[in-house]
Amino acid sequence: MVKIPAGTYIPLLRTEQDPAAVPVAAFLLDERPVTNAEFLAFVTAVPKWRRSLVSPLFADASYLGQWSGDLTPGPAAPPDAPVVRVSWFAARAFARWAGKRLPTTAEWELAAGAGYTQPDGRNDPGLQRDLYAWLARPVPDVLPAAGHGRPDCHGVRELQGLVWEWVEDFNSAMVTGESRADSGLERNLFCGAGSVGAKDTTNYAAFMRLALRSSLAANNTTTSLGFRCAQDAPP
Amino acid sequence: MKTLLIACLLLVSRLAAADPACPHCAPDTAGPVKVEAYSTRSLYQLDARFTDDAGRPFALSELRGRPVVLDLFFASCGYACPLTVTDMQALRGQLPPAVRDRTAFVLVSFDVARDTPAALARYRAQRQLDGQWILLHGDDSAVRELAALVGVKYRQAADGSFSHSNLLTLLNPKGEIVHQRVGLQGGLPQAAAALAAAAR
Repeated sequence: MVKIPAGTYIPLLRTEQDPAAVPVAAFLLDERPVTNAEFLAFVTAVPKWRRSLVSPLFADASYLGQWSGDLTPGPAAPPDAPVVRVSWFAARAFARWAGKRLPTTAEWELAAGAGYTQPDGRNDPGLQRDLYAWLARPVPDVLPAAGHGRPDCHGVRELQGLVWEWVEDFNSAMVTGESRADSGLERNLFCGAGSVGAKDTTNYAAFMRLALRSSLAANNTTTSLGFRCAQDAPP
Repeated sequence: MKTLLIACLLLVSRLAAADPACPHCAPDTAGPVKVEAYSTRSLYQLDARFTDDAGRPFALSELRGRPVVLDLFFASCGYACPLTVTDMQALRGQLPPAVRDRTAFVLVSFDVARDTPAALARYRAQRQLDGQWILLHGDDSAVRELAALVGVKYRQAADGSFSHSNLLTLLNPKGEIVHQRVGLQGGLPQAAAALAAAAR
């Protein structure tokens, strides 16, 4: 794992009551997303997370749908490629099994803000170019191997550019489905809904992540959604 | 009538378990009573642990067999949560007596730092909540998991309060979600009907 130094997360979208900046303690983050081979070891050890045995409460019908069988990832899921079509519950269960946890939104976004050569990726034209090139590409049927992307200045790879990733508190992202309600969250649906304003309107990729997180249910799985694990940094 | 019959049978089987010497109702075989597996949609598959406001450990599966009205809240909430608790009390009044008396009204706090069991006990006293109310404290992970399961979103604000979905969740005796009241107002007759139907 790679140590991410302490920093500050600036939430993209916040109500008047939300903090303007969230301090994030130093933490450890996997260098790359969890792979099919690693997830295979997990479902081999913990049968209730196999495709045929998992509860629909914890993973929807397309869970590990690209795998050939319960314990056979098969040709569409190469061992070194990131595992996708995993639910939040499954990702969390894997992390716990591995003695780790999922990163929080603040941790993930802080890490993803780093550039290739400098801690603040917003001023890193190479990073931005690669990011938007990835967003413009359709998801390939068979994902490439993880761990080969260009590392950022902390040594973390593929936070962006390979798959989307679950975070522990994905269900803290609140956006209503009503586009006309853009002046604020629907007061009746969300308590504490004040005026909502985006902090950095140029951060298109962050909007996409927010939209994705706010649209997900915890048992959802998608062909481009994987995860990586985090850990508290040793004192 | 049918409900009453089932309740009687349950009572008999409980007595049997409690008093194996009873000549008329002793179980045929010795050993532990066979427990039926949870249904695939049962929330009681969740192994998260909570603590009630008396400081006792509490697993959600202890609610099995009862209709449940579940709300995620925080005790210092000044806007929606008190209204929702009031609505839960109103919902209780709209349930048929046989269902009402065995329904559990469960409040789980997402203010894991401030809503300690002692704080929840104070809340119980303030709101005069009787024994059918179960107030639960959990760690961050347990509460996050339960919220994810029922579809509640929440986020802590700078002042320590929470923005959260207003969602009242009704569970049948198996622990399956049978109805959700979305938003703050209305929907109580429908909720009462859904819970009464599910409790049969």
